[in-house]
Amino acid sequence: MLDKLEEICQLNGGSGDEAQVRDFIAANIRADEVITDNLGNLLVFKKGKKTPKNKIMFAAHMDEVSFIITHIGDDGFLSFDAVGGVNPGVVLGKALRLENGALGVVGVKAIHQQSVEERKKIPDFSEMYLDIGASSREEAEKHVSLGDRAYFDTEFFGFGNGFIKGKAIDDRAGCLIMMEMINSEPEYDAWYAFTVQEEIGTRGAKAATFTIAPDIAIVLETTTACDIAGVSGAKMVCELGSGAVVSYMDRSTIYDRKLYALAVETAQKCGIPAQTKTLIAGGNDSGAIHVSCGGVRTCAISVPCRYLHSPSCVIKESDFYAVRALAEKMLSAVSEL
Amino acid sequence: MNIKSTLKTLTEQIGVSGDEFPAANVAAELLREYAENVSVDAFGNVTGYVKSPNPDAKTLMLDAHIDEVGLIVTYAEEYGFLCVGSCGSPDIRTYLAQSVTVHGRKSIQGVISTLPPHVSKDNSAPEIGDIYVDIGMTREKAAEFVALGDRITINSRFRELCGGAISAPSIDDRSGVCAILAALDKLRGKELAYNLAICFSAQEETGERGAKQAAFRIQPDEALIVDVSFGRTPGSNPKETAPLGSGVMIGFSAALDKQMSNALRSLAESKNIPFTCEVMPTSTGTNADAISVSGSGTRCCTLSFPIRYMHTPVECVNLNDIESTARLICEYTAGGAQNAR
Repeated sequence: MLDKLEEICQLNGGSGDEAQVRDFIAANIRADEVITDNLGNLLVFKKGKKTPKNKIMFAAHMDEVSFIITHIGDDGFLSFDAVGGVNPGVVLGKALRLENGALGVVGVKAIHQQSVEERKKIPDFSEMYLDIGASSREEAEKHVSLGDRAYFDTEFFGFGNGFIKGKAIDDRAGCLIMMEMINSEPEYDAWYAFTVQEEIGTRGAKAATFTIAPDIAIVLETTTACDIAGVSGAKMVCELGSGAVVSYMDRSTIYDRKLYALAVETAQKCGIPAQTKTLIAGGNDSGAIHVSCGGVRTCAISVPCRYLHSPSCVIKESDFYAVRALAEKMLSAVSEL
Repeated sequence: MNIKSTLKTLTEQIGVSGDEFPAANVAAELLREYAENVSVDAFGNVTGYVKSPNPDAKTLMLDAHIDEVGLIVTYAEEYGFLCVGSCGSPDIRTYLAQSVTVHGRKSIQGVISTLPPHVSKDNSAPEIGDIYVDIGMTREKAAEFVALGDRITINSRFRELCGGAISAPSIDDRSGVCAILAALDKLRGKELAYNLAICFSAQEETGERGAKQAAFRIQPDEALIVDVSFGRTPGSNPKETAPLGSGVMIGFSAALDKQMSNALRSLAESKNIPFTCEVMPTSTGTNADAISVSGSGTRCCTLSFPIRYMHTPVECVNLNDIESTARLICEYTAGGAQNAR
């Protein structure tokens, strides 16, 4: 699993620029119908042994948070902004790779030259720049054009007791689980929507849901875990190692109460570790999906993830397996409704 | 000698202040190509010597520091997190969400924790006490690998940017070590006007401590201190910075020897070596401050080159500036300026 997750996470696929990820997924699934729609969503139908009464759709998003070049200075330095919600603090001192392969770094004035005030504050993106080594606009323009994307240039590795670190685990983990479900021999027919542009407002899911018009949707995601030193109680939201996160509500969705209960019950019955969130935080494609068409009964099953939207998303392998197991069991459970 | 590949080798070694041995041992190995009696002392200082054929030759010390800024483990929380302190003054604003290596009995990897928006809503920078290293294992398990006092480095790497610029960790001051090695390479087969004592000193970042010990032992007549200085970036003060690629920076300061500074400037001019003058009014913030007052005193000058983003994991240097510095060291050492008073 680690190798496969590394392969899909190291692909670069910012919102609106998901082709690398889409092509990889399309090349690595065995499905009955594969559609790429106008927005770039990859809509996949996989026939199972049985056809359920309700039309079922799984969804996971292909895009990751990324950066876009907004200005090329006369001095060769590039201005950029985030595509998706990124805390500027996780970008300082990091290397970014431009879509054409050139490398750059996001530096700051040497600490020796910073004022006391400057040391206390994380600068905003408008005050940062990407340094690709160019000393003039002409030199920079050989390597970059306005609107080009940049991605965290960072490594992927396993560490500690079954933990995994990498960029874009949000939501390539969900994509990989759907790929594995498609390539297994599922019990029931289902649609699988690999969506685009989740990070800039769950835009791809709107079109995907309209096209598929499901009765029931199950979103496979990663969700904020803050079970870290210095944080306690409800603010931890959820914990790594405690299994699949089943949400009852987040900032974009109040989940279908019966599906939520069914997911909790299914996990219990099948001995799959599961938990819920202790804070109303975050949001995902469910927000767009559940209000599509005439309304879609929706639930979300997520892998708890520390340091979301950074070069170092951290998940635990056992939680990944718990989400995959619960997703498979939920396909049967909702098919039998 | 290839400056780029030597710099890559040097920046890939670990040598946080007070635990410089991995980097020091590799630097010593590289120095053995050019110098005699190369050794690494108990503090991590690397020294080596090259003799002049002239029996009356004075001793010139060439110094660059081998240590780099980093973190040190101060406490292990029960469930998977290490508390840390700074070695030197790294800019920890640039450490958030970085992956790291903990250099314990066995190296392990981890991640520097960051708070998500629901817990941290403002843009205030963390202090060293606010950050933790997530190692994904309990204190009990971690005890097999990590002990208090182990060093931690950020997992950055050597990256080639365009225009001859390189980004890597520990460019401060492995690029100085690289410049001295490149100068020794150029001096091969040449008659030296000085006896050379080369020192790659430990613990510069924590207060020029290694250089004090080494300079006392060497008792040089003169010293050239090769360290990094501030490179120009958008919004930086042009009076305090030099553009990358502008050549070696020759130091002028009350704490430095004016005649050495002048001689180096004349030499750079006459040999067409790109240079700028770096004026540091009272002291230099380099090993020169310690070496000049060591023993009965040493005439010192600094040779620097501009780097960007000092004390972050993505320090940037231009290889041409290392070359210019190496050329000037070489010319001075060969006695091209008749430097002696």
